[in-house]
Amino acid sequence: MSEVYGYQNCVLRLDLTNRKITTEPLNMDWARKYIGCKGLSTKYLYEELEPGIDPLGPDNKLYFTTGPVTGTSVPCSGKLSVTGKSPATGTMCDCSMGGHAAVKIKQAGYDMIVLEGQLDKPGYVLIEDDKVEIIDADDLWGKGSHETEAILAEKYGYDHAIISIGPAGENLCVMSCINSDYYRQAGRGGMGAVMGSKKVKALAIKGTKGVKVPDAKKMVNRVLEFLKEDCLQEDNTYVYDTGTTAFAEGCGDGGIAPYKNFSDTTDPNLDKYNGDVLLEYRVGKRGCGSCGLGCGNFIKWGDAIVEGPEWETMSVAGGNAGACDPEQIIRYNQVADDMGLDTISAGDTLVWAMEMTEKGIHDFGIRFGESDKEVEYLKLMARGEGVGKDLALGVKKCSEKYGGEEFAMHCKGLEFPQYEPRGSWGMALAYAVSSRGACHMTSYMANDEVFEESIPAYSAEGKGEVCYGMAEWNNAKFSMCICDFWATCSYEIMTELLELTTGQKYTLEEFGEVGRRVTHLARAFNNREGFTRKDDSALPERLFTEKLKTGPAAGQVIPREDFESMLDQYYDTLGWTRDGVVPEEILKTL
Amino acid sequence: MKRLKFKKEACIGCQLCAQVCSAMKEGIFCPDKARIGIETYYDKGELRYADNYCILCGICAKNCPVEAITLTDHIEVDEDKCIGCGVCAEKCPKHVVKIREDKAKICDTCGGDPTCVKTCPQNALTFE
Repeated sequence: MSEVYGYQNCVLRLDLTNRKITTEPLNMDWARKYIGCKGLSTKYLYEELEPGIDPLGPDNKLYFTTGPVTGTSVPCSGKLSVTGKSPATGTMCDCSMGGHAAVKIKQAGYDMIVLEGQLDKPGYVLIEDDKVEIIDADDLWGKGSHETEAILAEKYGYDHAIISIGPAGENLCVMSCINSDYYRQAGRGGMGAVMGSKKVKALAIKGTKGVKVPDAKKMVNRVLEFLKEDCLQEDNTYVYDTGTTAFAEGCGDGGIAPYKNFSDTTDPNLDKYNGDVLLEYRVGKRGCGSCGLGCGNFIKWGDAIVEGPEWETMSVAGGNAGACDPEQIIRYNQVADDMGLDTISAGDTLVWAMEMTEKGIHDFGIRFGESDKEVEYLKLMARGEGVGKDLALGVKKCSEKYGGEEFAMHCKGLEFPQYEPRGSWGMALAYAVSSRGACHMTSYMANDEVFEESIPAYSAEGKGEVCYGMAEWNNAKFSMCICDFWATCSYEIMTELLELTTGQKYTLEEFGEVGRRVTHLARAFNNREGFTRKDDSALPERLFTEKLKTGPAAGQVIPREDFESMLDQYYDTLGWTRDGVVPEEILKTL
Repeated sequence: MKRLKFKKEACIGCQLCAQVCSAMKEGIFCPDKARIGIETYYDKGELRYADNYCILCGICAKNCPVEAITLTDHIEVDEDKCIGCGVCAEKCPKHVVKIREDKAKICDTCGGDPTCVKTCPQNALTFE
């Protein structure tokens, strides 16, 4: 066999039930069709998981997947794909985690790590190149993610990347995340609970093997040109200056910054906790392995310390909670990370509970504006104590139990990101058709509709095609493991980068096909689990019946027929049935 | 004499410096084999910096028992003379000399045009 470049051609598989550790060659046919990260892990997930399995049972698998350019000088290539079946939604779930773990895994000699089965008692996985061990973690179980990372770093050294879960993951909370590098998360869909169900507290990884490419010097020089001439240009470098705090302004001005559990938009107090305020307290900048852009803002406000907060967290602990205390926003972020909770889902559940209390439907003991309580409630949710036991179920299950479903802001059980769909109709479609429930990462329609205003925000026309165009692009880009923030990256650049790394040629069309294939396959996984149009359509009634009252989008609702039309357009663009199902003739090509 | 300089407040810890160093010098992307060791990490709520890079102090050259290392405007290791004894690595104040395959691997500032400096995306590394 000829030498494989870029890839390590090695999958590390840990059968936790039998404590059996094996390696196998990467399926290079799948790698050709799905490249790496999101695409490749989606393919493995689809092929290896039986339909209908319990996401928190031994049959679910957790994939940590890199790609061919991971661990090279390709900028913005340090993201790790974390994939499994979601306990929050029952759909597939793929998260993109920053930090340095992806580079370390690749340098250790692996394209992918698969956790399957379940340990009989808590453990962590130590990986140092070929040496792989499962070690008892009784002394770590119950600890916060930050303390866990500190203990393991002290024991093994700071050249080990550490991936860990907090108490929320251990307690199988469906909104638990996986952490790395203290402040980087595989945030959404409860991947922390999947790791917790396997009783794996952490992975500590050191890698020294290197990544081989056909011509290293040639690649360094060409990549340097892409870095300087494209990546480090103004359209991307704002993330160094502000990170996603800049979105506060865009969302506020555009009328899509949610206010008090999406009951309205346009927080009058946004300027009390916006980027200008928060960044005054910035003490450092940080990026992922092989980054270049450096989006991370390390902020200290007294003893409230975090790398962040991102816009999502600013909103959910700010205006969406009817609060405006920047210190509490930072603290909320810090505690959620340490407890191992997704700031978005935990926050949306809390702001829903606030509305429930205010409306007198059920008293959760928390009201709008009580941001100190919001922080305390996170701990209760992570540990499943008191009122936190119910709230840890997320808004879908909580609202099924206590009412308030019409303003339980989720799709398929994944809570809304912080973009109000009535002010950006395409976001309603994006939330509806994303493969993991309400997600803003696949089709960021707010960008075109609101920030750039290149298409009308309050219209269904042509949205299916635009939404799919973004999904195809992002699914290709995330399969190439390029970070979202290299926004000006192109198929042309990725094709050349891939050839420099692997020696393999792709035409632009073939690269686009990768994005299309991933979109189909993720959908096919969900179809197999029983998800169809009815689940896409089940967005909260509030969007269709309650007009926004304030700000640039005042008066807006999404007429049901317009929403259904967007779904039709999206399905038609992909050649799916009007029930949102991938037809057999497409399925067999994947 | 031009030397590498490092402004830690500009560093984002991406390690592209080490990536390109290893690729240019060893033909493989492998930060562990790089002749520069700059990184950042969190330590119990603090952002810390490892700033291991050659400052052209010449201590390695002075201490080399077989005179395999010379310092002009850069360091050069004569691999024919080098016996891999490791004295240079031991004495290096920046802990940046590595012994591999019985030879000392030391930054030669790429002959006066260091790739790490050209690559550093936030200009944390300069050559002046």
